[in-house]
Amino acid sequence: MYHKSKGYKIFSFFNYIFLILIALSCFLPMLHLLAQSLSSKAAINGNLVSFWPVDFNADAYVKTFKNSNFTGSMQVSVFRTVLGTLISMFIITTAGYALSKDFRGRNALMWVFIFTMLFSGGLIPSYILVTKLGLKDTIWSLVLPGAFGAYNLILIMNFFKTIPKALEEAAFIDGASFFVIFRKIYLPLSLPGLATVGLFIMVGHWNAWFDGILYMSNTENYPLASFLQTVVVQGSAQSMALSQSEAAAMSEQSIKAAQIFISTLPIILVYPFLQKYFVKGIVLGAVKE
Amino acid sequence: MKKTGVLLSAALLMTGLLAGCGSDNKGSSSAAEATLKDGKYDPPITISIAKQQDENAGKYINGESLNDNVLTRWGKEHLGIQIETTLLGGDATQYNTKLRLALTGSEKLPDVLPVYDTSLENDLIQSGLVKDITEDISKYMPERLKEIYKEYPTAFNPVIQDGKVYGMPIAPNLTEGQVMLIRQDWLDKLNLKAPTTIDEFEKVIAAFTNDDPDGNGKQDTYGFDFSGKDSYNTGWVSDSVMIFSAYTGKHLPGQWYSEDGKLTYGSVAEGTKDALAKLRDWYSKGYLNKELATQGAWDALADFTEGKAGIIIGRPWLYGSVKDVETNVQGAKISAYPTISGVSGDKTYQSGQQNDGVFMFNKDFNNMEAFFLYYDKLYDAAFGTGDFKYGYAEGYDYDTVNGEVVFDSKKFNTPMDAAQGVGKMSFTKNTPNVDGPGKSFYDLAQGAKPDNGVLMRSAANDPTAKDGYVISYENRDVLLPNAFNGPPTKTMQTSWEQLNTMEKETFTKIIYSKEPLEAYDTFVKQWHDKGGTQITEEVNDWYTNASKVDVMSNMGLK
Repeated sequence: MYHKSKGYKIFSFFNYIFLILIALSCFLPMLHLLAQSLSSKAAINGNLVSFWPVDFNADAYVKTFKNSNFTGSMQVSVFRTVLGTLISMFIITTAGYALSKDFRGRNALMWVFIFTMLFSGGLIPSYILVTKLGLKDTIWSLVLPGAFGAYNLILIMNFFKTIPKALEEAAFIDGASFFVIFRKIYLPLSLPGLATVGLFIMVGHWNAWFDGILYMSNTENYPLASFLQTVVVQGSAQSMALSQSEAAAMSEQSIKAAQIFISTLPIILVYPFLQKYFVKGIVLGAVKE
Repeated sequence: MKKTGVLLSAALLMTGLLAGCGSDNKGSSSAAEATLKDGKYDPPITISIAKQQDENAGKYINGESLNDNVLTRWGKEHLGIQIETTLLGGDATQYNTKLRLALTGSEKLPDVLPVYDTSLENDLIQSGLVKDITEDISKYMPERLKEIYKEYPTAFNPVIQDGKVYGMPIAPNLTEGQVMLIRQDWLDKLNLKAPTTIDEFEKVIAAFTNDDPDGNGKQDTYGFDFSGKDSYNTGWVSDSVMIFSAYTGKHLPGQWYSEDGKLTYGSVAEGTKDALAKLRDWYSKGYLNKELATQGAWDALADFTEGKAGIIIGRPWLYGSVKDVETNVQGAKISAYPTISGVSGDKTYQSGQQNDGVFMFNKDFNNMEAFFLYYDKLYDAAFGTGDFKYGYAEGYDYDTVNGEVVFDSKKFNTPMDAAQGVGKMSFTKNTPNVDGPGKSFYDLAQGAKPDNGVLMRSAANDPTAKDGYVISYENRDVLLPNAFNGPPTKTMQTSWEQLNTMEKETFTKIIYSKEPLEAYDTFVKQWHDKGGTQITEEVNDWYTNASKVDVMSNMGLK
C-alpha cells in the first residue's frame, strides 16, 4: 500500500500545506476586495482595511447599481457573452464534426486553421478589417472576430474522434443523415467537451476588455470589462493635468471594489453548473484504449 | 493560367483595398453653406471630435450620454453647433492607440483632435492629415482668447514645423503649484515650527520619526511621504522634487532648463548628487516612505491618510484626498505651508504645466470660425461671464437653492453623489481655466467679494485647500515648465527609454543604499556616453529651430 509509507505521509503533509497556500493566495485577494467594497471611504484611503470591513456600509453597492453606465455595460456584457458563445459553439462544433472525419484536403484545411494559432495579422490589419466591414460600434465587432478559435476546435474535434465510429454507422443504417447524427448522437455524447469549451469561451467573452475599448466610440456600448478597465486603472503621474474635481473622484476605492466584485459574480455562479463536466472534459486523451 | 488568375485577383483586391483606404478621407464637413446669423449657425453644423474621457470624472445624470447631454443640446440650440464624439478613448494609452489606428486611414479622422502626446503630434503633422492653422488663428480667434494665447508662446512649440502651426495648445494656463501638507497636531505636540530650510526640514522629519508624535508609545511613524515610482519630479502629488531643487535650484530631475539660451538636462546637473546623498541618509534613518520606489503617487497617500506619515507634498487640492486622516485619527489636523527654500537661500522650484495637450484639426475641416465661436463660449465659465456665469449647467455642476448658488452636489435641489463633470459633457477632458495657480483664492484672501462663478466656486472650497491655493499663487514664480516640449528627437527615439531606466534605477538604488553614492558619477558619465551628449545637442537644435520663425506674429498673437 503505497499511501501508507512514511515518504507518502510527508509528501501529503507538505502537499496539503502547499495547496492550501495556493488556495489562499487565490482567495484572499477576493476577500480583501469584498471587505473594501463594504468599508467607508476614509478607512480605505487610510489603508485600514484588510480582510474585514471597517465602518461597515453598503453604499458602494447602492451607488454601483444606480450608475446607469455600470448597469448598461453589464447588459452589453451579458448579451455579448450569450450571443458570442452561441455563435462560437455553433461554428466550432459543426467544423469540429466535419474535421473529425476523413476527407480530401482535410490536412490542408487543418493546416490553415493551425496557422492562425501561430500567426495573426496583428492589431492594425484586424482593426482595418473590422472598420471596413462596418462592424465598428456594433455588437458584432465583439463577437465575430474571435468567433472561431483553432484551439477550441482541436479540443472539440478530438472529443468527437473518441466517439466510436460504429455508432455512426449504425445510425446511417437506420437512415439518419449527417445532421441528425451530429445533433442526436455527437452533441449529447460530448457534453463534457462542449461544457468545457463553452466555459472557456464564456469566460473569455466576459473578461475581454480590449476589443470593447478598441471598437466602440461610445462608452455606453462598452462591455463591463472595458468599463471597469477605464474606471479602475487610475491616472498615474502621466495624467498630471487632472483637475481638482476629477482627482477627488478618483479615490472612490470602495466603489471600484464593489464594481469588480459584482462583475466577477456572474461567471462564478455559472461555474458550479459546468464543473461536473469540467474535470472530464479537460483530461481528454489522458487514457488511450 | 490558374496561377495568373489567382495573382490577378489578388492584385485587384489589393488595389481595391488601397483605394478604399484613401477615399474615406475626402469630402468631409461640406456644411460650408451654413451661415452665421446672430451668433448662430443656420442650418446647424456638426463638428466631430475625438475625446479622451476619464471614466473617473463623474458620471452622466438624467440618462444623458456622450453625444446627447445638456451641453451638446445647448450648443445646438444657442450656436447651431452640434458636437459629436466619433473617437473615444478611456485612458491616455488607449486614446493614443485609437488615434494611431485612425491614422491608418481606415476611417475618417474627426474634425477636432485633442492630442496629448508629442510624438503622436509629430506623426500627425508628418502624415499630412492635419491642418496648418496659422491663418485661421489670426483670422478667427476671438480677442480675449488671443490675449491668453499671447502669454504662452512656448506652448505652441510642439506643433510648429517649418514655420507653420499645426495645432494650438488646449486652454493654456499655468497649473497650480505645490504646497507642503504637514500634520499640524504633530508639530504642535513636539513644539516645532513648520520647516523653511532643508536643515529645519530634516529636524522636523527626524522628530516625526523618532519622537512618537502620535503618542502611542511605538515608533511607527515617519516624516516625509513621497513616491519615486514614476519619477522624482512629477509636478503632481506625492512629489519629492523639492529636495532636489533645494540643491540644484532650477535644474529639476527629468526636465530641461534653458540657461542663456542653451538647454541642459536636470538629472545630470550639479547638486543632484547632494540631494541623493541627503535622501539616502534619510532613508537609512527611516525618515522616508519605506516603499517609495514601488508605490505610485496615489498609493503613497495612504500612509499619510492612515496617520503614519507627517509631511506630504502636492497640489493644493491634495488636501481633499488626504483629509480623511482627520476622520481616521482623533485630533489630527493638516495645515498647508509653502515649500522650503534651497541651500542657496533661493526658493525651491517645481515642474509647472502650461497646457494639457494641443488641439489639431482635420485638414478637410472648414469650420474653424465655428470652432472658435464654441471654444470662446466655453471660456465664459472661466471668466464668469455670459451664459456660463456660475458654471456650465444648473443642476449639473452647480445649482441654485433658495436664490443662492451652491457647488456642493450634496446640497443640490436633487442631491447627487457627484456633480456631472463638465469634462464628460463636452469637448475636452479639462475645461478652460484662467485662474492660473490660484488667483481667485488670492483675491478672496485679499477680501474680494465672491460675486462671480469663479470666485464663488473657489470660496466653496475647504479652508485648508484655500490656504494652499493662496500659497500656490504667492509662489507662482517657482513653476518651471519643461523647456523641451517638442517631439522626441532622433537619438531620443532609440536611447531615451534606456537612459531613463538607468536614471531611475541609479537614483532608487542610491537612496536605498544598494549602491554607493559614487554610482551617481558613473551614471552621469554613462548618461553622456550612451546618447545623452547627442540628445542634448539635438534638443538644442530643436530649441533654436522652434524659435527661428516668428510664428506668433504670423498668427497675429503679438
